Amino acid sequence: MVVETPLNSRRFNRRVFLRGTTLAGLSLAGAIPGISWAVRNNQLHIRNYTDVSSLDPPFMISGAEGVIANAIYQSLLQFRSDGTWNTQLDAAEYFAEIDATHYAFRLRPGQMFSNGFGELTADDVKFSLERAIDPTLNALNAEDMGPFSHVEVQDRYSGTIVLHSPYAAFVPVAIAGGTAAIMSRKAVSAAGGRFGTEPPCCSGPYLFREWRAQRKTVLERNPDWSGPAVAFDEIHVYAMSDVKASETAFEAGQLDCAEISVESTAHFRKNMPPDSKLKIYPSGRNYWLGMNQSNPALQDIRVRQAIQWGVDVNAVVEAAWFGLAQPSTGPVPAGMLGHRPSSHVPPAGDPARAKALLVEAGISLPLRLRLDVNNDALELTAVQVIQWSLKKIGIEVDIRAQDNGTFLSIGREDAGDQWQDIQLFFQSFVGGADPYYSLVWFVSEQMGRWNWERFSNEEFDLLNDKAIATTVQVERDTFYRRMQDIMEDSGCYRFVTNGVMPQIIRNTIQPAFQPDGYALLRDFQPTKGEV
Amino acid sequence: MLEYVIRRSGLALVILLLAVTLLFAMIHMMPGDPASILLGPKASPELKAALNQRMGLDQPLLVQLARFYADLAQGDLGTDVFSNRPVLEMVLEQLPYTIVLVLAAIGGASLVGIPLGCYSAIRHNSLLDRLVGVMSVAFIAIPSFVIALYLLLLLSVKWRWFPAMGAGDSGDIVDQARHLVLPALALGLGWVGYIARLVRTSMLEVMEENHIRTARAFGLSERTIIVHYALRIAVLPTVTILGLGIGTMLSGALFAEIVFSRPGIGKLLHEGVLTRNYPVVMGSVLMTTAFFVLCTLISDVINAMLDPRVRDGESS
Repeated sequence: MVVETPLNSRRFNRRVFLRGTTLAGLSLAGAIPGISWAVRNNQLHIRNYTDVSSLDPPFMISGAEGVIANAIYQSLLQFRSDGTWNTQLDAAEYFAEIDATHYAFRLRPGQMFSNGFGELTADDVKFSLERAIDPTLNALNAEDMGPFSHVEVQDRYSGTIVLHSPYAAFVPVAIAGGTAAIMSRKAVSAAGGRFGTEPPCCSGPYLFREWRAQRKTVLERNPDWSGPAVAFDEIHVYAMSDVKASETAFEAGQLDCAEISVESTAHFRKNMPPDSKLKIYPSGRNYWLGMNQSNPALQDIRVRQAIQWGVDVNAVVEAAWFGLAQPSTGPVPAGMLGHRPSSHVPPAGDPARAKALLVEAGISLPLRLRLDVNNDALELTAVQVIQWSLKKIGIEVDIRAQDNGTFLSIGREDAGDQWQDIQLFFQSFVGGADPYYSLVWFVSEQMGRWNWERFSNEEFDLLNDKAIATTVQVERDTFYRRMQDIMEDSGCYRFVTNGVMPQIIRNTIQPAFQPDGYALLRDFQPTKGEV
Repeated sequence: MLEYVIRRSGLALVILLLAVTLLFAMIHMMPGDPASILLGPKASPELKAALNQRMGLDQPLLVQLARFYADLAQGDLGTDVFSNRPVLEMVLEQLPYTIVLVLAAIGGASLVGIPLGCYSAIRHNSLLDRLVGVMSVAFIAIPSFVIALYLLLLLSVKWRWFPAMGAGDSGDIVDQARHLVLPALALGLGWVGYIARLVRTSMLEVMEENHIRTARAFGLSERTIIVHYALRIAVLPTVTILGLGIGTMLSGALFAEIVFSRPGIGKLLHEGVLTRNYPVVMGSVLMTTAFFVLCTLISDVINAMLDPRVRDGESS
């Protein structure tokens, strides 16, 4: 006999509780949208370093979006997949510079937008380019268009692009760089003038199929594509911000291609999955040690030069990049117009000369300086070697690591007064397809914005203006080399490296990357005989 | 009971508002702005000003907070200026993944931990009790990220039993469950030991109480006494702890979502903080806090339902 008491009441008991929570959990699980997992049937599964925020060309904010946009949209020109920044025709069958402010183009007839939005026309080119600078739209990438003015349409397929003033970076940055990808006027208007992660139409070799937030974007072969044949029926682009997670996913067989961290290259060399290979690509990222010349401790150029000579860049690159990267000679990476073959201060430096410079400057040692750095494992390793290098010449360095958001504000005048206090900082950014984008951040006008060194040089500013106003490549090459000479001679910079981007890839895949390491999905091919 | 629930709900609302206000202030005190972080050098002063205006960041903090609550009252969490998507939509898209993960982890831990603890108490000082004790301490002591990594390496990379990333196919419960196993294990394994220890201790206390002796004197079977009389009381502290444990699990979920590349509110929040995407951060924080407060409320109510002394004590 069981006596009915409050303790054993049947109204609510353990079973009811468990049954309820289980049902609730299953109901929630059933409500979740999802993805298909690694069904490899002529599919490419690849990691992207972050999720997509927008696939609207003037609003794309990361290279991760550019990777997808390159596969689903067409531009007049696109970059070749030969490891250079050279361009080739894409939607255009003809593209030529008429003069420094005019470019003529003619589209290939018969290229169709998806979703029934018709043929690509010169009017769509006009719409797409002019939309990027539309002041009412306030596009995030408007700056890419430089002094672009308008497009004059000649006929259904031809037109002329007009610039207000010469802008040498127009073709690589605006036209081939993705901001001026061609969208259908009708489609974008139908979407309300702007769209986010679901493009209203595509015209590239792949079509957008779906985007799942924080998960992946799925592309599929465009049946109407009339350009060079593409390899895969589907491409699954996974948003994976954690590089270690992507390494594991590759090892677990869920990815065909993934960027890995530099420190993992040794592991993969020793324990490479049997059907895979490791390839080291350039990253196009510029790493350097910056010195705030307006800070009292660094106002004497001899102190800055002592730091330049004191830092052993070879040791930094060996320790942080495991010898995979090369010391850089300036912000312009190898293979790009304006690259310097060598720097004035050799990578190994010279501690004796550094010490002599400090003595000459009358500095009492040890000199104590603070070094700000982004809280990133690779960069922290680099600054620790710099700390060790400088200790040898009598400079004690205190490292202050900060999260990326905080770090990016330390040299900015609009973010408080801390720009006055920064001394040394380890900085990096990805340049673009043109040397202009590697160097423009150091002009006097950028002081307190991105020029944290407070470097200011009239000749540098003048050369920057001249180099962007001419399309004579030899002249530009000379100007940009000279600009990097000036930077280095100011003592404000110790150039470190342009980094690397190691990728692990299935043997069945022949990948294609831009010189800055971003994937050119449309040019990924199966290895011969594999499909 | 109704009065108790109303009183608790009111308190939960106050806690929610307080937590969100505090977090609002903290988030806005962080240095850095979204335009500079996401656009880098492209973030011209004009563009930054325009973005700040669209995000309402050009207004005083109190005005921003008032606007946030005014919009919230209308069910609007703002718009992500970069993707141009409503934050509410973004958050609601991700929240179920986290809830499922947390419930799976805590549910799994309870399903294993409670019987283990109960059995250990009944057979205390037996070999199994000692074994459970050692295992429990080991599970509690090993950080969940270590467990997660080893699970990944063994079960996913080496044996390929379970996927290493993602959340599974929509509408396919089996596939979703396969994707849930490793993250839920990583998140919940430590709790198995914790719950087992807690239940064991409570059970040992309860088994010594008068009403159990009375039940034995009535000749009730040992099974009935344990299940209907002892465990019901012994599980009360565990229910409270599980409610609070949801908070810990939500923090752990962030880690699991990153390691297993699983969508979820933690990942959304993490990226929002890194990029200073304030509307997304606030939306995620609000929803996460609401979920935590709700879980605490539910655990309080369950406690009150299981033990009248709780609600009676509260009333008096």
